[in-house]
Amino acid sequence: MSRHADDLPEQLGLLRDAVAARNLTRGVLTGQESPPFVALAREAERIKGAGSRWNVRPLRELFDDARRLHDESGRTGADSWLAPRLHYTLRLTRAEAADPALWNYIALVVAPDYVVWRHLPKTARDGKRPAVTADRFCGPHYKQAFARLWWAAELFRDGDDYRPAVAACRNQDVLNTVLRLDVIDHRPTARAVTRMLEDGIVRTGREVNALATAINAAASTLMYEVLASDEGPDAEAFRYWMDELDMAPPAPRKTLPAGPGDGAIPEGAVDVMATYFEKLFAEAPVRGKEPKDAEEVPIDV
Amino acid sequence: MKTLMPYATLAGEVTFKVAAAKLDGRDLPLSMLSQQERVVALHQVERQKWDEARLDLRVRIPEAELAEGPWSDVVCVAVLTEGVSNLRTVTRLNRSADGTWVGSPTLARDACRTRAELSVSVVATVDGVPGRIIGGSEENWLVDVLARKPVRQRELHINEVDFGENQKPYEWLHAFKDAPWLVETSGDMPTVHLNTGFEGITELLGSGGSTMEKAVRGLIAAQIATEAWTAMFHSAVSDIEVAEDGSLEWPSGWRDWVLRAMLPDVLPDLSPADALSEIHSRRVETSGWNELQPRIQYAASRRARVAKNLGTAIRELDRSDEGDQ
Repeated sequence: MSRHADDLPEQLGLLRDAVAARNLTRGVLTGQESPPFVALAREAERIKGAGSRWNVRPLRELFDDARRLHDESGRTGADSWLAPRLHYTLRLTRAEAADPALWNYIALVVAPDYVVWRHLPKTARDGKRPAVTADRFCGPHYKQAFARLWWAAELFRDGDDYRPAVAACRNQDVLNTVLRLDVIDHRPTARAVTRMLEDGIVRTGREVNALATAINAAASTLMYEVLASDEGPDAEAFRYWMDELDMAPPAPRKTLPAGPGDGAIPEGAVDVMATYFEKLFAEAPVRGKEPKDAEEVPIDV
Repeated sequence: MKTLMPYATLAGEVTFKVAAAKLDGRDLPLSMLSQQERVVALHQVERQKWDEARLDLRVRIPEAELAEGPWSDVVCVAVLTEGVSNLRTVTRLNRSADGTWVGSPTLARDACRTRAELSVSVVATVDGVPGRIIGGSEENWLVDVLARKPVRQRELHINEVDFGENQKPYEWLHAFKDAPWLVETSGDMPTVHLNTGFEGITELLGSGGSTMEKAVRGLIAAQIATEAWTAMFHSAVSDIEVAEDGSLEWPSGWRDWVLRAMLPDVLPDLSPADALSEIHSRRVETSGWNELQPRIQYAASRRARVAKNLGTAIRELDRSDEGDQ
């Protein structure tokens, strides 16, 4: 059911939840049939003020390359490759990225085959044919196949440096758990978490979950923004980066692209949060943690 | 704060108001701020495009209590959040000579999808631990970037469309072309699609007419509203999320306020948090869900003012009968 780039609509559109949900049949979720492209294209709404920002082709090429560069057994690894390049290619304001209709359109019209390739379980429950859960097509930002990658890149990058976002996307539990926490909207908090990943202080899924629970619980009594202040990203620089898309080359496939130059996260603030989180993590209970480090098999979700 | 904390928190109230607002440096008309509803509406017809809103805050915190308590390095911050857009900005406020705290948090248009919640927290060092939240506002404000009027509860979005016409993007309504209306709750905003192809309905629901017509109109409006509230409630309950640690999370957007508005009528004896977990467990465990339906229907009909509208209609009928005799 792979689609050739030439058959695709030129511009992205918006597909409302109701329309998306109606077309997520069992056949689409199991990957046996394609969504009805013609009907969907007709029901989609146009994006106001359309321009090159909404071109479909660069996205489709990106998804094709992600598949080409990762074989089926390494498909979870495609997340950390795709996230920064998707963010670089699809330049959105946060208000735009908060619209589920855009992500519905990408999942159902532009790349349903990618969603199935990436998220179809290997084995099915209760003897039925394996199926992708519907929220990978049409769901909240931490579940939807493309929204979660875009938001991970947006929330974990350090200014124009996507490397922290790559570290975040290498761990499925960061995507599944940390991404949905409100506290990571604070840049130094997000960066402290990725630094702990880079330094190998947290590694397994269970460790990530334990850390996430501890960070979230502590945030109910502590105001992280007061402990480690951050002026926040430079909105004008972000705008400039968005407008610059026409001049920008396609996302490089082998090296990381550069993100928006909207200001690095103050290092001192990251230090404060990282020191605090390390202390929290040392005291946090980790499920199934043995006295000597038991090897854990990474879970393919 | 109601939750018990393992350190000293403020007993007194933290209250605040948005005294004024500016859009790109120009004053927002005062009519777009409601002190009563605690809402700022930012969508002006004359100025659709803007980059940044600046809100003028006045905060009162229990000064006397603070002076005597075990707190140091006290700061007051304004917090703007919106779930779907991952918006969270924290702005430090300044203490003015008369003891109120003032400041101007800003909201970028690009950062917010529909409405952000504005709250205030008091932060201090307690027992040597810096950054402790020792108090916060309970009555928060809403900053709505799409609204023209500062009202908390949004009216239902009414979409008039001829179901029979196969009109883009409403082709799916064609299958329901003999229905007078249909409630849709899957999107950003609950919507009532009103079938203009249903003969006479537009005129009936339009303005004017005799008192009898008005009474019938009220009755139909109540009927539509009941269906809408019931559908919204079910949609909201199915959107309750279970976090990794098993705790429940309120859904976002309108589903949040629908639950908060209706749960006190559905489960009157429980606190909001307990009601949330009760409703969730009844739904997933299937037992007790059916027993709850009359209560949900009752809560929806109360919201829709069915009793009042029906009463009015019956009185009108009586009166017209008397007139005939």
